[in-house]
Amino acid sequence: MSNVAMELQDVRKSIGKKEIIKGLTFSIYKGEVFGFIGPNGAGKTTTIRMMVGLMQLSHGDVLIRGKSIKHDFKNAIREVGAIVENPEMYPFMTGWQNLMHYARMIPGISKERIQEVIKLVGLEKAIKEKVGKYSLGMRQRLGIAQALLHKPSVLILDEPTNGLDPAGIREIRQYIRRLAEEENVAVIISSHLLSEIELMCDRIGIIKNGELIATQTVQDSTTSETKNITQVSMQVTPMDRAIEVLKTDHTLDAKSQDEALIFQTEKEKIPDIVRSLVQQDVAIYQVNSTKSSLEDKFFDLIGENTIE
Amino acid sequence: MNNFFKLVYNEITKIYIRKSTWAMYIILAAIIIGVGFLSNIDELSSKQYSDDNWRETLEEENQELTEEIENAGEDGVFYDYNSRLVEENNYYLENDIQPDGYGAMQFVLENQLLLSVVSLLTIIIAAGIVANEFRWGTIKLLLIRPITRTKALLSKYVAVILFAFFTLLFVLVFSYIIGLIFFGFGSLNPHMLVTDGNGLQYVSVISEIIPAYGFKLVNLVMMATFAFAISTIFRNSALAIGLAIFLMMAGNQIVLFFSDRDWAKYILFANTDLSQYTAGSSPMIEGMTLGFSITVLVVYYVLFMAVAWAFFKIRDVAGQ
Repeated sequence: MSNVAMELQDVRKSIGKKEIIKGLTFSIYKGEVFGFIGPNGAGKTTTIRMMVGLMQLSHGDVLIRGKSIKHDFKNAIREVGAIVENPEMYPFMTGWQNLMHYARMIPGISKERIQEVIKLVGLEKAIKEKVGKYSLGMRQRLGIAQALLHKPSVLILDEPTNGLDPAGIREIRQYIRRLAEEENVAVIISSHLLSEIELMCDRIGIIKNGELIATQTVQDSTTSETKNITQVSMQVTPMDRAIEVLKTDHTLDAKSQDEALIFQTEKEKIPDIVRSLVQQDVAIYQVNSTKSSLEDKFFDLIGENTIE
Repeated sequence: MNNFFKLVYNEITKIYIRKSTWAMYIILAAIIIGVGFLSNIDELSSKQYSDDNWRETLEEENQELTEEIENAGEDGVFYDYNSRLVEENNYYLENDIQPDGYGAMQFVLENQLLLSVVSLLTIIIAAGIVANEFRWGTIKLLLIRPITRTKALLSKYVAVILFAFFTLLFVLVFSYIIGLIFFGFGSLNPHMLVTDGNGLQYVSVISEIIPAYGFKLVNLVMMATFAFAISTIFRNSALAIGLAIFLMMAGNQIVLFFSDRDWAKYILFANTDLSQYTAGSSPMIEGMTLGFSITVLVVYYVLFMAVAWAFFKIRDVAGQ
């Protein structure tokens, strides 16, 4: 079990009489990127706040490399680098001064390390400017820099790509993957950008109403139990004949949606279907097949986006 | 301990890096220069007695003052002031002491009144130092470092006290410099006359500066601690500044209002002015002693700190 970087043991949180986190138990392993998703108000941020000791646990414990956040806060938090919600920095100080400020709070961070981190997040040019003048993307990068200063073994990032441009998102994504694979860091990412999670994470946990309703690897969620079934959308004329051909020849229940023919089938069958359509004089302009995405899976699991 | 020093250094940096802090110092400097300028115009304070004929000067002065007193009668606005000057001049003549001219040291002593401005600035800093971290959202990044919350809070408090100390030092040094420019050096260890229980006493100005500033420091520290506690509990700097300044201004009135009650002597403000126990003054409420006041002050101080600490220690840092 030495492979566990962070372990939540029946973590609960009550505010007043209302229990908002109802017993979370799961582990995050070294070298994996764990995506934490759920609708608004599900308890993502509350859970993250409890993981880093900003909120007290009503019940249970969080162990970071075996050290309790409740009883051994200093040693547990030393392993953690985090951004909680927005990357808020002191606006009247420069990026460099902000990093120096946090560096002074943890022993053993050299100026070289700070330079290294700045280079890593690509802030060399702006580091001497006041943070008040930074764009959201630059603040996000500075936030990641401050979380990495002390080489944490657990990195917790709340919405890390928020405010970044596509190039920045790609860069951060690659960097996070590299941290996990090369430096064996456990990365916990919360996001509501599902496609983002899909691209970045090895495993996801879905939280709803303070309960963890599923954890699974990203590959699981998009391939298993669906047996390679994909959704196909075709542009054809005439539509009625196409629907009939599919029903009689392939026993498929197709429907017409936004002037496109939509149906689900196994990938291997697509060429046969196209051939039979051509034989029945149906003109085909376009064929698209889409994998059942995490997004569909997500909505299957959580149902509607409701806050209770 | 080294670690704690770095935390305090961080807090001090965050105070002094901001322009609003420097604006405070500029205002203080402007007030000191202004006071110096106004006193310089006032002829009495610029009078020098350095010539050999200082006795004649004093006698002339007395004559003028006596005439003024007679003309205005006992109801004159300057009656008390003028008769006090005559009394002082007579003391110099009787004891054959050449009076010291008004110099930089005397100016520093007079600027003890500026300590209320220093208190005001310290309250503003104390009220913001915790509340601002919450307002900026930076408290989250501050508290996920390997330091206990107790240490984080204490480093902030120490920074406030250091700010008060630096500002006080600034008032002393800058007053002295401005005093030198406007009034000259005076003598090395100037003396002056003060009234205590036994009438006029001839004392060193420096020996007056120390208690004058020292007594006011008690009030400063208490009000800063109060503002710090309110700021920590309510995370609202405006509330903390408002309450602390209101109480600082209205403290004496509050004591007077309740002075016929038994518990009036337990009010903080009945005890903050320790100069009430020096010779020549009487306590605000009969029966109070220096020991009693110090005990009350310590109890209030511990209460403020303990409540602030308790709130900060257990608080959930949640969204605004």
